[in-house]
Order: sequence, then C-alpha cells, then structure tokens
Amino acid sequence: MAQRIAVLVEHLEGQPTDVTFELLGLARRIANTNGAPVEALLFGQGVRHLAETIPADRVVLVEDPRLRYLTPEATAVTLAALLRADPPRLALIPNTSLGMDVAAWVAAALDWPLIAYCEGLEARDGQLVATAQLFGGKILADVRIDDRPTVISALAGAFAADAMQPEPPGTIERRDPPSELAALHTRSVVLERPEAADVDITRAEKIVAVGRGIESKDNLELAEQLAQALGAVLAASRPLVDAGWLPRSRQVGKSGLKVKPKLYFALGISGAPEHLEGMKDAELIIAVNKDPKAPIFSVADYGVVADLFEVAEALLERLEG
Amino acid sequence: MTIVVVMEQVPDVVEELAIAPSGTDLDRDAVSYVVNEYDDHALEEALLLAEATGDEVVAVGIDTTGELDQALYTALAKGARRAIKLTGDFEGTWLSTRAAARLLVPVIQELEPRLVLTGVQAPDDLDGQLAPTLAALLGWPHASVVIGSQLVDGAVQVRKELWGGMTMTLELELPAVLGVQAARQAPRYVPISRVRQVMREASIETRDVETPGDLAPAIMRLRFPEEAGQAEILTGSASEIADRIIELLRARGLL
Amino acid sequence: MLTTSERIAFVLIALASLLLTAHGVSRIVRAIARGQGRPNWGIFFRRVIPVSLDILLQRPIFRTRPFVSLLHAGVFFAFVFYGLVNIFDLAEGFIGFSTLHRGGIAALYNLIADLLSVAALAGMLGLLIRRFGLRPFRFNERVLLLPSVRFGISRDSAIVGGFILLHVGSRWIGQAVRVAESGRPDWSQPTASLVATLFHGWNEAALTMASHVTWWLALGLILAFLPYFPYSKHIHLFMAPLNLILREARPLGQLEPPTSSDGTLGAERLEQLRWYQLLDAYACIMCNRCQDVCPAHGTGRALSPAALEINKRYYLNRNLAAFAGGATSPPLLEIATSKEAVWSCTTCAACVRICPVGNRPMLDLIDIRRALVNRGDPLDPNLQSALESLARYGNSFGKPARQRARWAKELPFTIKDARKEPVEYLWFVGDFASFDPRMQENTKTVAQLFHAAGLDFGILYEDERNAGNDVRRVGEEGLFEMLVEQNLAALEKAQFRAIVTTDPHTYNALKNEYPAYGFRVPVYHYTEVLAELLERGALRVQQPLRAAVTYHDPCYLGRYNRITAAPRRIIRALGLELREMPRHGENTYCCGAGGGQIWMDSGGQERPSEQRIREAVALGDDLRYFVVSCPKDMAMYSDAVKTTGYEGRLTVIDVARLVASAVRIDGLEPESIPVESEAR
Repeated sequence: MAQRIAVLVEHLEGQPTDVTFELLGLARRIANTNGAPVEALLFGQGVRHLAETIPADRVVLVEDPRLRYLTPEATAVTLAALLRADPPRLALIPNTSLGMDVAAWVAAALDWPLIAYCEGLEARDGQLVATAQLFGGKILADVRIDDRPTVISALAGAFAADAMQPEPPGTIERRDPPSELAALHTRSVVLERPEAADVDITRAEKIVAVGRGIESKDNLELAEQLAQALGAVLAASRPLVDAGWLPRSRQVGKSGLKVKPKLYFALGISGAPEHLEGMKDAELIIAVNKDPKAPIFSVADYGVVADLFEVAEALLERLEG
Repeated sequence: MTIVVVMEQVPDVVEELAIAPSGTDLDRDAVSYVVNEYDDHALEEALLLAEATGDEVVAVGIDTTGELDQALYTALAKGARRAIKLTGDFEGTWLSTRAAARLLVPVIQELEPRLVLTGVQAPDDLDGQLAPTLAALLGWPHASVVIGSQLVDGAVQVRKELWGGMTMTLELELPAVLGVQAARQAPRYVPISRVRQVMREASIETRDVETPGDLAPAIMRLRFPEEAGQAEILTGSASEIADRIIELLRARGLL
Repeated sequence: MLTTSERIAFVLIALASLLLTAHGVSRIVRAIARGQGRPNWGIFFRRVIPVSLDILLQRPIFRTRPFVSLLHAGVFFAFVFYGLVNIFDLAEGFIGFSTLHRGGIAALYNLIADLLSVAALAGMLGLLIRRFGLRPFRFNERVLLLPSVRFGISRDSAIVGGFILLHVGSRWIGQAVRVAESGRPDWSQPTASLVATLFHGWNEAALTMASHVTWWLALGLILAFLPYFPYSKHIHLFMAPLNLILREARPLGQLEPPTSSDGTLGAERLEQLRWYQLLDAYACIMCNRCQDVCPAHGTGRALSPAALEINKRYYLNRNLAAFAGGATSPPLLEIATSKEAVWSCTTCAACVRICPVGNRPMLDLIDIRRALVNRGDPLDPNLQSALESLARYGNSFGKPARQRARWAKELPFTIKDARKEPVEYLWFVGDFASFDPRMQENTKTVAQLFHAAGLDFGILYEDERNAGNDVRRVGEEGLFEMLVEQNLAALEKAQFRAIVTTDPHTYNALKNEYPAYGFRVPVYHYTEVLAELLERGALRVQQPLRAAVTYHDPCYLGRYNRITAAPRRIIRALGLELREMPRHGENTYCCGAGGGQIWMDSGGQERPSEQRIREAVALGDDLRYFVVSCPKDMAMYSDAVKTTGYEGRLTVIDVARLVASAVRIDGLEPESIPVESEAR
C-alpha cells in the first residue's frame, strides 16, 4: 500500500477554504516523518488555476460541470472512484458541512475505517495515532490507525496551516471524471448568500458575543448597551440565532462566521467546539460564565466565573459613568 | 408513503461523564441517556413533512441502552405512526455507526420509505455520521447539515447549511437520506399525559438482530481534554472584576 | 286605586312579561348547565345564611373602593327593601291599601322607604355620573374585546341605571303626589312631603292622573324591564349570591384536575369550562376591580380578567338560543381572550381575591393553558425548555439531579440525609434555592440558622424534584402528576414529622395540592420556623438591627396561604422598623414570576417587579431594605432594583440573612446592616 497522503481540496466560489491548507499542513508534517508524497484532490469546473496555488507534491484534477459545486453525491462518487483505484495511506477530508457529506459516505462505500472529529494526528513509534473529539469535545479518544487505508475527517481550525515549508510547484495530473457521475440522483443546486448583513462581524475589531447564559431575549438589550459602550458589535452563538433573537449574520462558529477580532468578549457562552472553531483566533478573549468548567475558558485569555449580568452592569457603569 | 426517522440515544453530556477503568469506554453505569438532540430535530422535520403530505412517519432505533422505549413512545406521542426497535445483545459494546447502519439497512429497505431522516451527527459517532453511511450502503442520494426540506414531485428539496450564513439548496431524487442539523421549527413539546397515554395504548414493534462484527478503528484510550483553564481567572466582586477588565482593555489600547 | 281596566291590563302585561322573563332565565340556566360538572346543592343550605349575611353587610364589595361601594350600598339596600315596597304598592293599586298617615310600624316602613329612595337615587346618579362622566372603565388596547362589548356595556348600564332612576324616582314622586292628595305632609315620609309642596295648586283630577302615571311608571316599568333583565348586568343580583353560595370550600391554592371532554383536556371552548365558570360570566357586574389589581394588565399586557368574563357574557347573550340548544361555541381564544393574555397570567390570584361576586377568571386561563399544552400548541421556547428540563432532570435549570444539593457541600457541617435517618423537619428546598447561584447563599444561611438553633432537620438530596406548583399552573398536568409521583416516592423513603419549605410555591403545592394525592403532613414555611425559633430563644438576637425596611408578601404565601404574620414577627424581633407598602398582606402585588412566568419572556413594557420597587421607594428616603421570603422574589427584585436605578439605595434581602446578621452565628459572614450600637 502506498504511503501517500491524499487531501480533498474544499473550495467554494473559486476559493480554497482555510481548512484545506490546514489539512495540507497536517499532511506535510506526517509525510515528513516518512518521506511520503502529499496528494491534493481538486474537483470542480474551471478550477485549473486553483491547482497551481495548492502546496502539494501532486494535484489530481478532475473537472466536470457536475462538480461545479462540491455537492454530496458528485463529490463522494468521484472521490471514492479515485481512492478505490489507488488507495492512499490516509485520506484527509475536512469535517465541514461539505466534508461531512463525503467522508462517511466514501469510507462506507469503500469499507475503510473512518475517524471523525479528528483534532490531532501524529506518528508515534512508527504508529499513526489520531485524536478525536467525542461527546461534544468533553472527551478525547486516542485511536490507533491500523494498516488499512483510513479516512480522516479533520476538524477545521485544529491544525496549523503555517507549519508548511515553501513548496516547489508540484505536478498537476488531470483525470477523467468517473463513470458514476453519469448516474447522479441530484437534480439541481443553488447557492444562496446570506441577506445583506446589517453588520459585518468578521471585520469588527471588537466583539461582544452572547450565548445561552443570557437567558432571555429581554436581556439582549444589556449586551447591546455594553457592546455600544465598548465600541464593539454584538454577536452570538448558535442557539440564540436559532431562536431568532439575532440574525444569522451575527452568528460566530462553524456554521456561522469565523472572526478574528482584537477583543472577543464572551458573555454566557459555554464554548461548544463548533463555537470555539469560529473565534479562538481572536487576539484577546475574555469570557464570563457561571460554570467554571465551561470549555470557553480553555481558549480565553481571561476568565470570570460569575453572573454575567452583574459583570456586564458593573462594566457599563464604568464605561458610561 | 413512508418517512423513516432513525433515532439514537446518547450519553447526556449535561451530566458529568466518567471514563471506565478499562480506559476505552465511558463508565456506562454513571451515564444517563437522552435522545440525540439532532435526532429530535430530524423527527420534527419528518413530522412537518408528513403533515404537509399525509406521509406516515416511522421511528426506528437500535436499543443499545435498554431505555429506547421512552424515546420511541415520545416519538409516537409527537405524531409518528409506528415505532420499530431493533434489539440484540449490545451489552458492553459500543456499536459503531457503520455497524448500526448495517443493522438498519434491511429494516429501511423493507419499509420502502421515500425519505430517511436522522440527526446530522451524534456525540458518540467516532467513525463518522450515520446519514452519509446509510446513503452509501443504500445507494441513495443524501445531504447533511440540513436545515429545511420540502417534498416536490418525486424529489426532495433540501436546504443545507454551509458557513457564514451561506446555504446550498439541492434537489434530490427519492428515496434519499438526510442528516438534519435543525428542523424548520424547534422540536415540538409533547405533554407528558400524551406520552403516558401512548405508552398505554400504542406498541413498539421489536425485531431481534445479530450483533455484527465490527471493523471500527480501535480506541487506545479515552481521556479528558487538558484541564480547561488556561485562562487567567479574575476574581473578586463584580465591580473589582469590572475595574480589572477596564484596565486590561486600556493596557491594550482597546478603550 | 287603579281602574278595573287598568287592573286587567296590568295582570295581562304581567303574565306576558313573566313568560318572556322565564323564557330568558331558562335559556341562561340551560346555557350554564352546558358547563362541565354539577353544583353541589348540598352546600347550598349550609352556606346560604352566612353568605347572605356577608352580602347584606356588603362585605365583598367594601374590600376596595369605599366611596363607590357606599353608592352601591345605597342602591343595594333600597333594592332589598323595595321588594316589600313594590308589594305594598301593588296592593295599593289593586285594593287601595295605603300606609299614608299611619302610625306605628307603617310609619317606620314609610320612613325607611322614603330615605332609601333618596339613597338609591343618589347612589344610582353617582354611579351613572362615574361611569359616563369619569369613564373609569378602560381596557388597554391589547385586550381582546368583542365588538359588541364596547357599546354594549354603555347601553346596558344606561338601561339599568335609567330603569332604577325611573322606577325609584316614580315611586318617590308618586308618594309625593299621594301626600299632596291628602292635603297635609306625612311626617313619616319627610322627603316625599317636601316634594309634595311642588304640587301645591294642582287640582284633584291632575293629582289623580299623576298618581296613576307614577304608579304605572314605578310598577309597570318593572314589567317592561323584566324580560330584558336576564340579559342585563342587573342579573348579577341573583347570579352573584348564587356564585358565592355554591362556591366549593376548596383552598385557593388547590386546582381541580382538568376536565376532559371530546378528547380535550382543559377548555378550548365555552362548553368545556365548568358550570361555575359559565355562571361567572353572569355574575360579573363589570366593575373591573380584577383588572385594576392584575399585574399583567398593569404592565400593558393583553390580559384583562374583566374583559374575559365580559366577553363570555356578551358572546353567550348574543348566541344564547343556539348555545343553550347545544351548539358548539367558537374557540375561547377567539371570543373570550387572546393567547398572549392567557400566557401573561402570573396566577397571582389577585383577581380571584378581589372579585366582589366570587368570580375566578384565573381558572379559565389555566384551563385554556391546559388545552393549549395538551393540543401541542407551540410554547414559549424558554417555557418549553424549562418543561423539558423538569421532565428530564426534575428541575427547570437543566442541571443533573445529582447537583441539587451541591450547595450543601460548602457548609461546615453535614445536613442529614432524610432518606437514611429520621428527622423532625424535612426541608424541601426547592429548585431556585438549590440551583440558582444567587440564591444558594440564602439557602446556606437558612441551613446555618436551622443548625445553630439545634433544629433536627434533613433534606432529600438528589431525590427532591420540583414540587410542580407552577408546572400545574402552566397547564402541564401530566408533568405535574409525574413530579408528584416522584416526590411522593422520595418522601416515602424518609421519616419526618413535618415539612419546611423555602419556596412559597413549593409550600403551596405540598400544603394544598399534594393532599389530593394522599399526602397529609404539616407543612411550614421557613419564616414560620424561624419566627418560632426566635420566639422560643433557640436563636437569640445578639445585635438588634436598626434600619427601616419593608416586606413583600409573596402571592403564594400571603394571598394564597395567609401567612403574613410570621415574617413580620421576625422583622420586629430583630429590632427593625417595618413600613408597609400600600399593597401588603393578602392584598400584595405580584412580582411577576408566578404561574410559570419566570420561565417565559415577558412582553410587558414595565415589569410588575419594577412597579413594586417604586412602591417601596415611595415609603421614604431612609428605607434601606426590601425584605423578601421567596427565592423567586429575590431573583425578580434584585433585577428590578437594578433596572429601576435604585441599586445602592434599596437592597433586596432575604429575611434569613437579616436573622443571620442579628444572631451572629460563627462562620456566617454578617451583612453590613447597621446595628443598634453603631447607629447611636
């Protein structure tokens, strides 16, 4: 079996996503331990130019109109066909909305093992060991990767992209679309952008973010006041957006937006992995939560274990008074 | 026509989890089980679809906990027409998603549904998510992270959430498998009296299944993440804390 | 004396009138009988005399609005006496019987009739001026009112008021005419004699004519009015006493289980209400006192208990034949009240307590909630998650049961586990006192006080569940029953003499609701126990406190269960100066948290708790403490003091903390409350 490490290139609207480079970085670090090649699998339509920006030893390019978007079925059958024809040691797929459609499907179709929610991967004594999140990140599982080709569904934001060495331009290999693409059951695809956002939280320097701890919609006013007093914009974790208290454009996290402000002030956010993924790169994180065990404290620079209302009011008093 | 919802019970992460002495499983005696929250959303979405079309919702689950009845009765009380429970000798095993899918496929095929809905993920699916796995084994189209769906002549239109507020709308031919992230509306409340009434009047169909061999990757050990709290914890009264925060922000030129 | 043709005419008209009236009354009776259940006539004979006495003394009316109640009393006493007057007047018309210029008992009768006529006229004029001149009866614009109601109330009031004025006025003037006919004043009818001077110079024929006209206006008018009477607000004078008499002697804090009809639990439509809830509609006199005391209406929400009853009445009147005949009514949420109103009730029972005619609009709201919950109507998301938590964990905080007694670990001693060893008092701590971090300090203080006083007490640890008081009032009867079963199973494991609770809501459930499930033990509120411990010296005041305080009676303690003295005994025992807010004791004002509101998003402009804080602040600049004895009050008022900007000026404090400060227990950090020595 080849030692090759294959990485699925995730892209949307002509741009590879950040997680793609993170996975390529991870692949490179593993490959460096045994000199295996890193192979990027790029599917799409009119994406040849992207191939040249991918830091891999080899870019396998499949172009087809049906691959214009990385839709679940088309991506999965194409990936499975390629992997079946020439199994790699590892296939790295992002554990994102697009990747989740593909990883489990391909692994099941090929009957290969799959490790999902992977947040760590390293070679130990010649053995590959993956670390995966279980129970919403409350428990980690160290999993030995056996000799079979293995699919890894890796969490966005878990691996560094910047550890890569500058790459010599790799080779680009074009492959024919697999025959399975001819018999798809997916009829149409439409991509929808969010409605014009009232505020672009990805550009905000300061963010006050609220979570379930805010308890009721009435209390948003206090958070909004605090945000104004700090010159920050208000953002929220998923449950508040799902409840309709704030628009989608304010949602931070995996299914929302990724933010990197100078200040991220988290009120009543416990810090589900999906949320941390969207904000842990903020320069300064201050978190207020009643629960001293809240995962948000693991990424925060400063933590306050207290009633968020008391702290917010005390702050407001100082900022406004 | 039939819509199948696959429901699973998972350890309640509100409770404190403990790792068994073996180091490779949870301490199952200390665990309490809840319905996977995404499965609840899958059920709600299925009920909403069925209410619009007159389809019959069938709730299906594998009873790995011995407590699945409660979840299935609740599903019946909410509006599912049938509930099917797969039982077997699951004591002390951690049924992988792949193995679960293999047990479910024959039941689903027999029910001939036009849709299968299940939660987008479960907190214990180390070997990947159920919906795409079922789709691969059934050979049906699928989509995950679904936040809304609609049946339209021979197909299902699904809204799939990407990121940054972007969504992708796909039209899948039937039958199809959906991994539901969130139903169009919050899962409904079902009054306890209705659940109790259902428990008296309705019955759950039971099928015995063989425990399948498992090819899931081997867990070496479970552990808790590095102690949370790399954050410096500020203490004192609310006003002392506020002073300290202001000071921190000033020092960084953020005020 | 009437002419023969007049007599024949009167008898014929009377027969027709009575027939029409009987027809109306029978329809109303059949309509009310469509309600669920049947009255217990057994209690009628037991209660008829005491209740009649209450009514004769106008006690239910004088609870508020003394001046208006006085006007009403004038009309009321005249009405009662006019029963006699009308009979005598009838006798006069038919057989010429007269009490004019007679002495003895007849003179007394004349005098009373004469004076009461004036009282009734004055009272009725006053009430009409108030209604039409001052227009005090307004509903906020979010309240659902049937289109027929707005104009209908005014028309009905005008008809009833006009009838009384005309009837009494004609009789009064008629007497004056008779005095004038007799040619000399009747000293037993002073006001009539005064009016008689107006008829000076009238000839005999004119006076005879006037005497006939006034007789017909006084008594003939009754015949004209009678067929309208069952549909008028005036019917309250039969329905209200009936309502008060037939009221079951059930504690205010005990709900009946929901009725079940056509597969509906609770009430979606009129006929699914209980019979007495339909009677309520006819007993209602539209005085709006319930609305005045309603915290939901007072904070701009869509609820008006008065509008609910009035709508029911107007719907019934307009559709009486069909409804009495068995037609299905439209949903209550279309004709009686709105969903928003139903969900804004705090179940504070102020409306029930204040109602002079014994109506219980709150029960309608709870029955509608029951139907909504049971039908699977979408709930407020916070309420839904609270109910789901309660079903799963037995508390509304979504916390594992195992964490319930976590606060107890921080105490320097171990609280007995009542499941394992017998205790005298089983302390039923309650959700808020157990789980809310802001309340846990108070809870620990109570524990330390009990401990210091040597009280033999224990708790149920993780086996305690929410007692279900507010779950039941939210309408989730099945969940309530489940919680009761779980608690009873836990209580069965324990040996104890009595229960002490922190939360008044818990107190109410255990005291009033649980007996229906066979659970009967003495239940005390912790203020009762603390008062007793102080009074028998088990807790000694080391440092009397010196501050002006006010005390807020929780609805479920003060109003529902009339425990108003114990907390006040404590406050006085500590040396504090107690200043009462205008609304106190059974008359207390709701904090806005009851009936499940604490789990819902409030849609009001201002919260009841904020109004309450302003009420306290008005007691004086030197008032320092707002004393509470309910964990939910602690939460509500701590917030309200902040949002009203009185933080720093007024401190919300649990009565137990005051006790702790005064008795100075080792290891307990006393509050910085001025003590006597410092203040001097």
